[in-house]
Amino acid sequence: MVSIAVTIQGAGALADALRAADVHSDCATTVVVPTIGCQAKPFTDLTDADFDAAWEQPMREAIVAFQGAHKAGHTRLIAIVPTIAMSGAPQLAHVAATAEAIRVMVKSAARQWGADGITVNCIAVAPEMFGIDTAAVGAVSIAPPALATKGTVVDDLVPLIRLASSVDAHHLTGATLTADGGIWMAP
Amino acid sequence: MTNFSSANSGRLAGRTAIVTGAGQGVGEGIARRLAAEGANVVIAARRAVTGEPVAESIQSLGGSAICVETDITNRESVAACVAATVQRFGGLHIMVHNAFRGGLPHKLEEADLDRHWKHMSQTGVWAVLHTGQAAWPHLRDAGRHGRFIIVTSPSGVEGSANIPLYSPVKAAERAIAKSLAREWGPSGVTVNCVAPVAASPALLNAFERSPALQAALEARTPLGRVGDPEADIGSVALFFASDDSAYVTGQTVVCDGGSFLGL
Repeated sequence: MVSIAVTIQGAGALADALRAADVHSDCATTVVVPTIGCQAKPFTDLTDADFDAAWEQPMREAIVAFQGAHKAGHTRLIAIVPTIAMSGAPQLAHVAATAEAIRVMVKSAARQWGADGITVNCIAVAPEMFGIDTAAVGAVSIAPPALATKGTVVDDLVPLIRLASSVDAHHLTGATLTADGGIWMAP
Repeated sequence: MTNFSSANSGRLAGRTAIVTGAGQGVGEGIARRLAAEGANVVIAARRAVTGEPVAESIQSLGGSAICVETDITNRESVAACVAATVQRFGGLHIMVHNAFRGGLPHKLEEADLDRHWKHMSQTGVWAVLHTGQAAWPHLRDAGRHGRFIIVTSPSGVEGSANIPLYSPVKAAERAIAKSLAREWGPSGVTVNCVAPVAASPALLNAFERSPALQAALEARTPLGRVGDPEADIGSVALFFASDDSAYVTGQTVVCDGGSFLGL
């Protein structure tokens, strides 16, 4: 069986941790770790510069990263986002917007590139994995993690990347795998 | 067109709403529906040539409406629209952001950021920032009558194979709505989204170019038709604008005749 190093696109601590984990797959794979800001700020205080840094530039980077994966001929594309994409969070509207936009761009890409044999999926992780302190801005869910932990990169995220990037996942596309230890359980 | 003199109960009497992109299509439908329920309505249109006739039509039917030429991509222009509204009507209770520009079909791998992304980002997500920020002090003053309503799309939930970069813009709007629902909830202001498939001018033009598109869309719709901007979409916006929805916030209602049944 072939073993191909997974390409990690993105900057920041989470992307660095994934590079350090040296993930391999039997399919050519790109993992996009978007630039997700973690600076909480009331919506009404956001400046255009804040919004450009939290929304416009990360989205442009993510679009280019998706295009780069396609151009490279990769057949597996995975985006990592925090679960505040789905839940929203007070004082983090600018951050949640980007996360949810990338999560739904995954669905668009899955629909458009499926005929080319490319699968595109999303893994939604606990916000803390992106350095977001949800406790500081108030509850974003109704319950603590069912598994009593919000997860680690090596033990909890990497196995899901291996799953979604494998040949076995050939019929899995447009999905969001929520891996936050059981906080967000909406459909 | 809704008859102003009967069948309406004045649920928005004494309240004032701004509807962006109300010179045509869904925005016009929402504006007419809110006006029919007694709201003072500001038609915030990019060009007065489209907005003025809508305002005059509402006035001719006994409603209260003015047109304020507004560029939603410009923070100062939006602030000026809000200021003109408050000066004319004494307050602002309901901000509806509907205006949108863009949506050219494209291949994601070939998408050009300036051609296929920029306008959608500016008129969608950036305009939510501008309209929300400008409206906030007045919505807060309106307390439990304060409403921020964002017109998004089913594509913002399920993705789009034809216009892939449209979906993330509409998804972002929903995420902002959820976040603001949490942030503004303590003041009583609600924030919700309407996700329509409606007979907008753009969609009607597309049907004219491709009758097969209309047939396909209607065939996959349980209710078998495309929504009417005023009767179908405006009525859902009215629900969110009225006291009936005082305990509903952070939600998206998909008004597409049942095409999307994701929950």
